[in-house]
Amino acid sequence: MKKYSLIILLVAVLLPSCMNEPIVEPNTNMGNFESLWRIIDTKYCYLDYKKINWDSIHTAYKAKVTESADALTFFDLMGTMLGELKDGHVNLYSDFDRSRYWKWYTDYPANFNIDLIRSARYLGENYKIANGLSYEKIDNGRVGYIYLGSFSNGFNDANIVSAMTYFKDCKGLIIDVRDNSGGSLDYSKQLASCFFKEEKVTGYIKHKIGNGHTDFSKALEVKTPAHKYIQYQRQVVVLTNRKSYSATNDFVNRMKQAPNVIIVGDKTGGGSGLPLSSEIPNGWMVRFSSSPMYDSNMQEIEWGIDPDVWVSLSSFDQANGIDTIIERAIKLIK
Amino acid sequence: MKKYFIYILSILSSYAIAQTTDEQKYLLTSASNTLGYSIINLNDPYLSPLTYSGSGVGYDFQSQRFLSVENTHISKFQKLSLLVGKAHNPPYTASMSYFGVNYGWGMRCHLKPMNKLRVQIGGLWDLDFMFKYLARNVNNPVNVDLATNLNVSGSATYDISLFRKDMKLKLDMKSPILGCMFVPYSGASYYEMFGLGNLDNVVHFSSLHNKRGLDANLMLEIPLRRSLWRVGLGYETMKWSANDLVFERNNLSIKIASVFDFATFAGRKKRAPSNFISPNE
Repeated sequence: MKKYSLIILLVAVLLPSCMNEPIVEPNTNMGNFESLWRIIDTKYCYLDYKKINWDSIHTAYKAKVTESADALTFFDLMGTMLGELKDGHVNLYSDFDRSRYWKWYTDYPANFNIDLIRSARYLGENYKIANGLSYEKIDNGRVGYIYLGSFSNGFNDANIVSAMTYFKDCKGLIIDVRDNSGGSLDYSKQLASCFFKEEKVTGYIKHKIGNGHTDFSKALEVKTPAHKYIQYQRQVVVLTNRKSYSATNDFVNRMKQAPNVIIVGDKTGGGSGLPLSSEIPNGWMVRFSSSPMYDSNMQEIEWGIDPDVWVSLSSFDQANGIDTIIERAIKLIK
Repeated sequence: MKKYFIYILSILSSYAIAQTTDEQKYLLTSASNTLGYSIINLNDPYLSPLTYSGSGVGYDFQSQRFLSVENTHISKFQKLSLLVGKAHNPPYTASMSYFGVNYGWGMRCHLKPMNKLRVQIGGLWDLDFMFKYLARNVNNPVNVDLATNLNVSGSATYDISLFRKDMKLKLDMKSPILGCMFVPYSGASYYEMFGLGNLDNVVHFSSLHNKRGLDANLMLEIPLRRSLWRVGLGYETMKWSANDLVFERNNLSIKIASVFDFATFAGRKKRAPSNFISPNE
């Protein structure tokens, strides 16, 4: 009996040791480098899709890490390393700076001018503001125009109903999400649902289930429901540019599958990886794309979504107070 | 005369004996309210790979009562614990707020192996919940520890005499044996889990292979003239693992408790005796 009691006690003590402790790096430049590299290696979701040789980047950047480098120099080096991912959702945050990759829009024409939007031809001075929605009738009252600059600025159903009611005599609606770099996916779904007659699978999402670059869960359907009491069924044109990113990219993906919707402008900036956060030993936070989202055909939309109609902002039109992309949208509605 | 006196004395004595054998017994519930100040270390790899350390305050309510007047070898026991506090990462660049609740119910067998020592041993079912909020995080600022456990639970009480007072040294412990717990994948956002309803592989069976812990309190019970107090230390350590994540919680606290016994009277069948005075008339 005594022998069995000892065995049970030993098992009770040893079995819990099966919980593998994570590697804890020291708070040195090298330790912070290794920690940051490993976070991306095990948690970032696009290494395989983007064909990034993260091991080679480890070798190249490890050689540049020195313990004598001050915080600013070390931060810039780590920011440059993260820039190799070419992802607007990847940032390193310190008390003094935030690293970023902006080439997803800086390398392309802007195709947007806020001064034009606010001119008398479009929103004017007395446009309506309902939380995040700025709206007014344009084209002599024939077309409704909504500018939504961010999906971080909230809006509720009452705001949407107010705008739709205001536009009840308009032939169609323009929703301008140029320069909208994202925000809440819930707002994206809420607004898109106003343009669906029935629930539809508009995309998929996966998440990482292991440390390997291809360790993903099964794809989960992302549905866009039909709004319970707001259903706009006239022609809708959504305006996009390269700075339409993240939750806006999600919105455009949903709207592209809605009836009576046309996407006009430039390709969106992309950013379909749902970002999460972690941190390294010196307390700097890192944000990174963690859960890839796809369109309804399981195609990647990380690099952006093509419009149905490509239109660029003409500098001649701009000089004459005309937004080429809005004017094209008006023609499509007529 | 002497014969009559003995006769009357006999009658009176038998009447006194009858009164003693018919005397009603009442079960007392022993309860305590405990306040504690804690130093806590938290490891939540879903929120951060770093260990967060901080402090908090806790409150426990505990009650215990024998099953019946006839059965004073087994008691039922329950405990409610609350803990709230704030912790920081080592470089103090971020802070995590937490709030924890634990409710347990169980039964214990009472033993007296030797003079001055009383031992209770039994099982305790508990529901454990802790909400952690790391405001700085994007899309994963919150994680929840949610588990239900079957624990082995017990206590040992030893009578000691200190400063000419009869005190008790009491050690109370519990440790989880098996249960189930909520642990998400590190890459799964709460948006996907609760916004899209994907709860695949978030509930896990727990036993000694992936969860171990000990919750112990060592208290000195001090009787004063009209009150009973306990002072002492509490130590809780819990480590659990699932989905390649290892969580840990360590909590050292200094505690003070007031202890009291009470009996409950209510309804028609459990009326308070007439010499018990209640404002609820």
